[in-house]
Amino acid sequence: MTESKLIGTTMYIGLSGELDERAAARVRSELDTILSGEGIKKVVLEMSQLKFMDSTGIGVLLGRYKRLTGRNIPIYLANPQKSVDKVLNLSGLYEIMPKVELKEEA
Amino acid sequence: MDNYMELKLPAESKNEALARNVIAAFCVELNPTVDELDDVKIAVSEAVTNCIVHAYGGGDGEILLRAETDGNKLRVEVRDHGVGIADVEAARRPYFTGKPEDERSGMGFTIMESFMDEVDVESTPGVGVTVKMTKSFNVGK
Repeated sequence: MTESKLIGTTMYIGLSGELDERAAARVRSELDTILSGEGIKKVVLEMSQLKFMDSTGIGVLLGRYKRLTGRNIPIYLANPQKSVDKVLNLSGLYEIMPKVELKEEA
Repeated sequence: MDNYMELKLPAESKNEALARNVIAAFCVELNPTVDELDDVKIAVSEAVTNCIVHAYGGGDGEILLRAETDGNKLRVEVRDHGVGIADVEAARRPYFTGKPEDERSGMGFTIMESFMDEVDVESTPGVGVTVKMTKSFNVGK
């Protein structure tokens, strides 16, 4: 299950495991459920526990971005592991979903 | 050729992880770095996922995963006997996807090309697709 926590108006979502084509439908549906709520002005995807992501994952993120952009909600990508960071860089996704560093908190 | 393996897998989503793990295990004898292993895993994941998503219209079919080692070089082949690709050149362009309605990034071949040294794609429509990739490990060490 994808973890999430609303702090103020920022929805923090923790991605974990492997985001490949097999996981895509589940993650997509979980994210959409989490993001359907009210009071969200910003989204941070925390990726330190995400061990793997391929282009299917890119597609899932892009799909979420398209939905949230219509609601004027920016998405930030936090703490990606090295291999995930490499794919994100290659895809150009950081141009629309900036990389941020999250310090350990909640 | 120092070692080789051949694996037949049903073209099902659950086998994406299996293919990644198998190719990683096969590479171990070449003493790859973690980064090199990650590169190979994602490239194979992309090729295998293409077979699962596109080759058989989401239905039943088989994927052949072959690999061989030659000194510090890995050769991988991912082959299917599905619908094939009519225009390989177009398919390899970034952001091109055969299923635009499906929220796909169209980045599969781009990732393979970036993370592996060489990528060769052969296809005959109605017959299938063969993706051949190579990667040399520990170059310059």
